[in-house]
Amino acid sequence: MPIQTAADSISNSAGSPYGFKNRIINGAMAIDQRYAGTASASSLSGYLIDRWTIAQSTTGKLIAQQNAGSVTPPTGFTNYLGVTSQSAYTAGTNDYYAIIQTIEGYNIADLGWGTANAKTATLSFWVRSSLTGTFGATINNGGSRSYPITYTISAANTWEYKTITIPGDTSGSWGSTNGVGVQVWFSLGVGSTYGGTSGVWSSTNYVGVASTVSVVGTNGATFYITGVQLEKGSQATAFDYRDYGTELQLCMRYFQLLGSGGACGVAESATRASLTYVFPVPMRAAATGTLNAANGFLNQPQGGPNAITSMTGFFYGNGSTTTISGGWLVIDVASVLTTGKVIINSGSQGMVQFSAEL
Amino acid sequence: MYKQIKLLDGTIVSDQIKRVQDNTTIPFNIQNIDYQEYLKWLEAGNNPLPADE
Repeated sequence: MPIQTAADSISNSAGSPYGFKNRIINGAMAIDQRYAGTASASSLSGYLIDRWTIAQSTTGKLIAQQNAGSVTPPTGFTNYLGVTSQSAYTAGTNDYYAIIQTIEGYNIADLGWGTANAKTATLSFWVRSSLTGTFGATINNGGSRSYPITYTISAANTWEYKTITIPGDTSGSWGSTNGVGVQVWFSLGVGSTYGGTSGVWSSTNYVGVASTVSVVGTNGATFYITGVQLEKGSQATAFDYRDYGTELQLCMRYFQLLGSGGACGVAESATRASLTYVFPVPMRAAATGTLNAANGFLNQPQGGPNAITSMTGFFYGNGSTTTISGGWLVIDVASVLTTGKVIINSGSQGMVQFSAEL
Repeated sequence: MYKQIKLLDGTIVSDQIKRVQDNTTIPFNIQNIDYQEYLKWLEAGNNPLPADE
């Protein structure tokens, strides 16, 4: 007689209390490898705290920061992502301003979107703004399918909990591997080109809802958010609070920092060393490597720390550009190394940043 | 702006390019979003700088 478990009684169309319930990574806004709590530049239209992007069709309108404004987060959370408007800007026809999470296809494939068996999903989050009214958001596939949604903030400067149920999309093409799966956009101002009708699946790439609150429209306006969860099923459940180490490793699939002692190798010459680096977490795709020379040094036995001048490159074995496990760094310094000696890096976290973001 | 990469033996690296403004090396992998941006830049009629001598 087969043994029945609790899991047997859970339909595949419902959310599961086990495993990866929340498809949003860093939904509690706790991981900030890039900025370590400092504010982004208003010129940024790109990645903020881990897995979250700010989009500005014209830069200079918004800044973002983990725990901006130092307000008390909602009960159960210790961090939030805060955005502050830098001017009173009227969004033009083709403008869009938002914070976004792009979810990898592997992490939403079981929703079956784009098929007749598409499952319902539910988005939930805590939000607080200096503005009140109807705000816009969108679920889309990054190009040809979108589901604009609205929610209401009733009281200024007060945390409010929101839940929105999204019927599964039976049309369109939804990524199910290591490319873009689902994008979640929280609109902070959108022009008519990108503002759709709430509650209807569309074949247009909408990223917000027309005639909703525009955060960029008010100088100094704030928009804070945390506890973001996207889960399978028609009801929001308690936030899937993952341990810090697990959440950090999930983030490192997309972005990671080389810390002190993380890479070692040999001096090729007095001015150049090659160091191997194995990613602690395999990355989503072949990563971009960015040197921050101020954050690192090279050391050889009885020698160092030696300031870095440049990085020739980060190379993968045998000319491959598909490796996701590691490679070697070719680093240049002033003429201080002894050819053939062992070399190891030192300094603060982030001598090299590796990015395989979506 | 982008620049070719040259190794000590004079070989020009054929599967990476350097983004000059932030000292970033980009692998020629279509799943890398920085490489996708580089391809758009090439399509716009641009060409990378030659590697440093």
